Amino acid sequence: MFNKDSKEIITKQAETIIGPQIKVKGNFHGQGNVTIEGSVEGDIKTTSFLLVGDKAVINANIEAKDAKISGETKGNIKISGYLEITSSAKITGDIEALELSIEKGALLNGNCLMNKNKIATSPTNS
Amino acid sequence: MHIYIYDNPLSQKKYDKILAKIETKITDLGLNGRIIRLGPMNSVFNAVENEIKKGAKTIVSVGSDNLFSQVLNSVAMLKAKNIYNNNLPMGIIPIGKENNDIAHCLGINSEEEACNILSARRIQQLDIGQANYNYFLGQAIISTKNTVMVIDDEYTLESNDEGEIRVINLPIKNKDVPESDVNAVDNQLQLLILSHNNKKIISRKKNKYNLFRFKKLVILNKNEPVIIDGSFKITTPVEIKIAKEKINLIVGRNRKF
Repeated sequence: MFNKDSKEIITKQAETIIGPQIKVKGNFHGQGNVTIEGSVEGDIKTTSFLLVGDKAVINANIEAKDAKISGETKGNIKISGYLEITSSAKITGDIEALELSIEKGALLNGNCLMNKNKIATSPTNS
Repeated sequence: MHIYIYDNPLSQKKYDKILAKIETKITDLGLNGRIIRLGPMNSVFNAVENEIKKGAKTIVSVGSDNLFSQVLNSVAMLKAKNIYNNNLPMGIIPIGKENNDIAHCLGINSEEEACNILSARRIQQLDIGQANYNYFLGQAIISTKNTVMVIDDEYTLESNDEGEIRVINLPIKNKDVPESDVNAVDNQLQLLILSHNNKKIISRKKNKYNLFRFKKLVILNKNEPVIIDGSFKITTPVEIKIAKEKINLIVGRNRKF
C-alpha cells in the first residue's frame, strides 16, 4: 500500500523534475518518478509515481501508476494504482483510479470511475 | 608504446622544468614512449591517427582539458570510422592547476600523481556524449535564454528564467548534481536546467533544479552556441546523444564517480 512515508521517498527519488520556470509541450513519456511544478501541454505518461505540485498548470491527459495532485489540471487522469488529490488541486476532467482520496477543498469537475476490473487492464508501459 | 602528446603552450620555456621532472618520473617508472610536441600548425587528429597506425598502446595528453578534448575527439572519430577497433587506453597528465577539471574528476590532481596513475594503469571504460560530430566526456552547456530543446522527438522544453542548461555525462565541476546520478557508465545523459535565481540554493530536496533523462536531445538557439567540455563551441541546431563509441581511460583511485 502507498503510505505517506513511501510517497516522500519516491518524491526524493524523482528521475524527472520539471521546475516552476519550465514549460513542456508535447508527449512526455517517462518510466521513473516524475515531479511537475511547471507547466505542461500535451500528454503525460509514467509507469511510476507522478507528483503534481500546487503551482503546476497542466493541460494534458495524465497516465501514471500512482499520483498525488496538488495543482491545476485540465484533461483526463488515469491512475492504475492510488490517486491522492490534495486541497489545493483544481481538476477539470474525468478521473479513473483503483484507489482514491480527495482532501477537503479540492475542486473536481468531471466523472470519477473506480472500476477495479477496468483499471487492472490498463498498465502504462508504453 | 606510450605516446605523450604535449599541448602547444608547453613549448614555452617556463614549462621546461616541469616537463623535465615528468620525463624523469616516466623513465623511472618504465613508461618511456614517443613524445609528440604540438605546434600551432599541427593537427591533433593527424598526430593521433599516425600513432595509432604505428601501433600506439596508450595515448597520454599532457596539458589541459582542451588538449584532452581534442585527443578524445580524435580517438572517438577514428573508432567511429573503424580505423581501429581495439580498446586503446587514454591517459592524462595535467599541467598546472587551471583548466584541468577533467583530470581532477578522474582523480588526477598533480603531474607526479598522474605518472603514478599511468603506472598503476587502472583502466575504466566510460560512455561519451556526442554533440553533432563532436564528442565530450563531461558536459555540454548553453544559456537558457531563447533556447528550445526537443527531447526524444516527443516534447519540447523551454525555461522562463535566465540560467544554464547542462547536458551531463560525467559530473565535472557540477556541485549541484548528486554524483551518483551521473557516472558515465549507465549509457545515459542527464539534462539539468539551472536558474540563476536559485543557483546558490539548489538542493535536491527542494527541487530547485530541473532534471530530465533522455535518449536524444536537439538544442535550438539562434544566438548562442553550445560549449562542450569547456573547449569547443558548436552552433545550433545541436543533436546530443550517447555515442556508440566508448573510451578506455586510465583513472585514479580517487576519481569522483
